[in-house]
Amino acid sequence: MKKLALLCLFVLGIGFSLFSFKGLAQRGEFDSIILDFREDVSLADISEEIQGLSAKYGRDVNLNSVFSVEDNVYIIEGDKKVLKELRKSPLSKDTEYIEPNYLYKINAVPNDPQYGKQWNFRDINVEQAWDETKGAGVTVAVIDTGIGKVPDLKSTKFAKGYDFVNDKEDAGDDHGHGTHVAGTIAQSTNNGYGVAGIAYEASVMPLKVLSASGGGTVADIAEAIKFAADNDADVINMSLGGGGASSMMEEAIKYAHDKGVVIIAAAGNEGSNSSSYPARYPNVISVSATDPAGDKTSYSNFGAGVDIAAPGGVGMNESGSIWQNTINPDPDDPEESVFAGFQGTSMAAPHVAGVAALVRSTGVDSADEIRDILKQSSRKVEEDHLNHFGSGHLDANAAVQLALKGKISFNDFFRWLRKSGYLNLGFWIDGGAVALLPKLAMVVGSYLLAWLIRTYIPMTLGLNTGLIFGSSGLFFLQGLYWFDLPQWPMRLFGSSIPELGNVVLGNSNFNPLFASALIPFALTALLLNSSLKWFAIGSSIGVAACLGVSAFTDPGIWLLGSGAIARTYLIVNAALCIGLAYLASQKDTPRA
Amino acid sequence: MTVTGTVEKKGFGFGTWALVSEDGTTYELKDPAAELKQEGIKVEVKGKIRKDVMTMAMIGAVLEVESYKLL
Repeated sequence: MKKLALLCLFVLGIGFSLFSFKGLAQRGEFDSIILDFREDVSLADISEEIQGLSAKYGRDVNLNSVFSVEDNVYIIEGDKKVLKELRKSPLSKDTEYIEPNYLYKINAVPNDPQYGKQWNFRDINVEQAWDETKGAGVTVAVIDTGIGKVPDLKSTKFAKGYDFVNDKEDAGDDHGHGTHVAGTIAQSTNNGYGVAGIAYEASVMPLKVLSASGGGTVADIAEAIKFAADNDADVINMSLGGGGASSMMEEAIKYAHDKGVVIIAAAGNEGSNSSSYPARYPNVISVSATDPAGDKTSYSNFGAGVDIAAPGGVGMNESGSIWQNTINPDPDDPEESVFAGFQGTSMAAPHVAGVAALVRSTGVDSADEIRDILKQSSRKVEEDHLNHFGSGHLDANAAVQLALKGKISFNDFFRWLRKSGYLNLGFWIDGGAVALLPKLAMVVGSYLLAWLIRTYIPMTLGLNTGLIFGSSGLFFLQGLYWFDLPQWPMRLFGSSIPELGNVVLGNSNFNPLFASALIPFALTALLLNSSLKWFAIGSSIGVAACLGVSAFTDPGIWLLGSGAIARTYLIVNAALCIGLAYLASQKDTPRA
Repeated sequence: MTVTGTVEKKGFGFGTWALVSEDGTTYELKDPAAELKQEGIKVEVKGKIRKDVMTMAMIGAVLEVESYKLL
């Protein structure tokens, strides 16, 4: 009984959550309302009503455009509350419909006012990628000059970092480079201020290894790489380079790579045909720089070791450079931050780091897999004999799509659910297939019988299970359709013992062997002296109830028709089952 | 080593000071003195290449200045 109650609550709970799910149809943004007056309402009446509205809400009500005259389409400013009031008002009888004037936008374009200057984001197709992910749950370590808490990083999440130059925990920026790089990765986006960043829901970890003059030692950099790996960074960005090979750095990179961290570095700005270190190392993704036309910039390294190309910008003007928020380099200027245009493979690398974070957040764990996805999804450049571009131009959308391919993402699944109608509760439970009342009667009937026989009803699994299975089975399962899987298992578990003889095959008439006292008799004989005795007794009572009710509601039996003979057969067997149950229960009189 | 060349400000970060030698090689000046930070001056610099230093500019080998002579 308790279990039945729990089951009902569970079903109610699921039903409630499904019904309260707001589909896409009700989630649009709007700040005005459409009033489409009926064609048969006179202009004078419309005019009067509109004036009334105008007076009531203190706002204009106007035709939508010159083309609205024929159809009488008027627009009034309003929100959900106004919409509700209008729909309830007498106005609604004069209108064909009153509905929200939804605002449609093109793909997820952020509201950051200077977003227009970020040609580099269109270049890598980031807007489509944002439909799937914005990098939530991923940490990107920025090994650089530190990260200043500039206004356009206010909503960006920061992980704990470290300043290796000055040996302190606060890794603020005293140069400007690191903050700019962090901006490309995760500038606060859609905050109505400044510019956007690629993986703006990711966290950034500031690791300061470069001084105020922009240089740092290999030892500090290697330790920063280890710190990042030990503190759960998922991606490392190193917009720095130079020097030669270093065992200490090689070791640190191997350590981080073995921990699954994706490591990205700038190829270098010497314009020469080999990548600088650390980008040159095999486990590091080396990034060359492109300009707005998609060509390699003159300063960018190329050739040996370059893995992929991304926007690096040209010059320091608004058009052509990479535009982000960073600290103000002028100590005398009271303004704490500036928007600056930088160029360099230093700017290209964080594009790849940002996209790596997007890919990571879709669930791809392996560093090598992420690298492969980034390279495979990049836009290949035909005729690249000098390896200017590595595998090709970085493409955020293609990378995210490739990462999701073969994985059923939650977004895909929900879209499919909405489209296919599976979220409609009526789809799932085909109420017509199960005659509810007779089934309920069987369950209730079986309990009544048990009480009548004056059997003590403990909350035993055995007795209750027997009662349910004997009388009706988990009958609601019979109408349940689980996607396109075969439905017979549902019918099987949803059947009472008598029905077992016919339901799997989908027949509606009882099998005379099953719809009798035969099985209860067999069960009782088998289980009388075991711990499952009460299950057998419960089954007998249940079967009795089932047969008894069926005798009156639906007595069809194969070979016996559905007339008086069938009814008699059912009633006689029901009586036999009751007798059987009584006898079996009496055998268990407690002895002294 | 001794390098003779022209000082140039390269556009990386907010600006990086470089020494472009007569043979066209670009060196990045490490923490140059204020007097050296002038666009276009010809200098002779004595210093050493720091292979253990990496920078955000990545324009060339890092040259630590020990002494210099304005030409």
